[in-house]
Amino acid sequence: MGNPAEVNIVFHILGMPVSDIVVATWIVMALILLVAFLATRKLSLVPSGLQNVGEIIVEGFAKLVVDMMGTKGLPFVPLIMSIGLFVLIANLIGVVPGVATPTSNLATTVMLAGIVVIVGHGASIKKNGLLHYIKGYLDPHPIMLPMNIIGEIGKFLSHSFRLYGNMIGGAIIIQIIYMFAPWVVPVPVMGWFSVFMGAIQALVFTLLAIAYIDVML
Amino acid sequence: MELTNAIVLASVCIGSGLAMIAGIGPGIGEGYAAGKAVEAVGRQPEAENKIRTTLILGDAIAESTGIYALAIALFMIFTFGIPLMP
Repeated sequence: MGNPAEVNIVFHILGMPVSDIVVATWIVMALILLVAFLATRKLSLVPSGLQNVGEIIVEGFAKLVVDMMGTKGLPFVPLIMSIGLFVLIANLIGVVPGVATPTSNLATTVMLAGIVVIVGHGASIKKNGLLHYIKGYLDPHPIMLPMNIIGEIGKFLSHSFRLYGNMIGGAIIIQIIYMFAPWVVPVPVMGWFSVFMGAIQALVFTLLAIAYIDVML
Repeated sequence: MELTNAIVLASVCIGSGLAMIAGIGPGIGEGYAAGKAVEAVGRQPEAENKIRTTLILGDAIAESTGIYALAIALFMIFTFGIPLMP
């Protein structure tokens, strides 16, 4: 059975090993950049075709952010859109045979959650100053300092582990079903785990990212 | 050496089984949430779409502790158990 703790090295660049998950991440990035490039080639005031789809996506994410954070969240819309689109396409691309799921590795999800933590704390320090940020840890009473710190670490861990656990659980169950019934049966299982749960986990990851940045400002 | 390996392998299996007892939590919690959602739909059938979205969202968050238990069990099996399998 595939060990989730080991990676398959596909090729080497300048002596550094490149795993199949990194190649899958490059494919996801190429897909998103390709659609973005094609949608913005001839911008017109009245959109049509792919530009329409692009505007729907941007307006959808902007509405999501502003509904939860108010107008002060507008500078964060590009970040939230990048994270949301990356997680969504990365979860869905596992259905393609031969392509690994980037979010089924702890490295990808920890880095995504780490970006949210760094942006949240950095925005808080930049907006309210370092003193206000440190006083936030002593907020109800100074004796709560260790619990606030553990709470922050817990938020980061739960954010990354939720996405990783859902994806790796789905991958392992699909592998087990392959062992028993490799012909038509895996298709509805992949439909449930990779497509449905992948889309829902992408939405939950994005909403939590917005909430974690909002609570720090 | 053989005995040590056998003991470690056995305790990994028992530990993974114990860790997945945490599967009870999301089952009860999400079932209760589904019941409340059905109640809400019965009270106000026009809001069905919003209720369905909120239910799915709440389910994904409540699933978290079950996923943590799954991660611990998988970690135990794959780093301690599989290398020791005869």
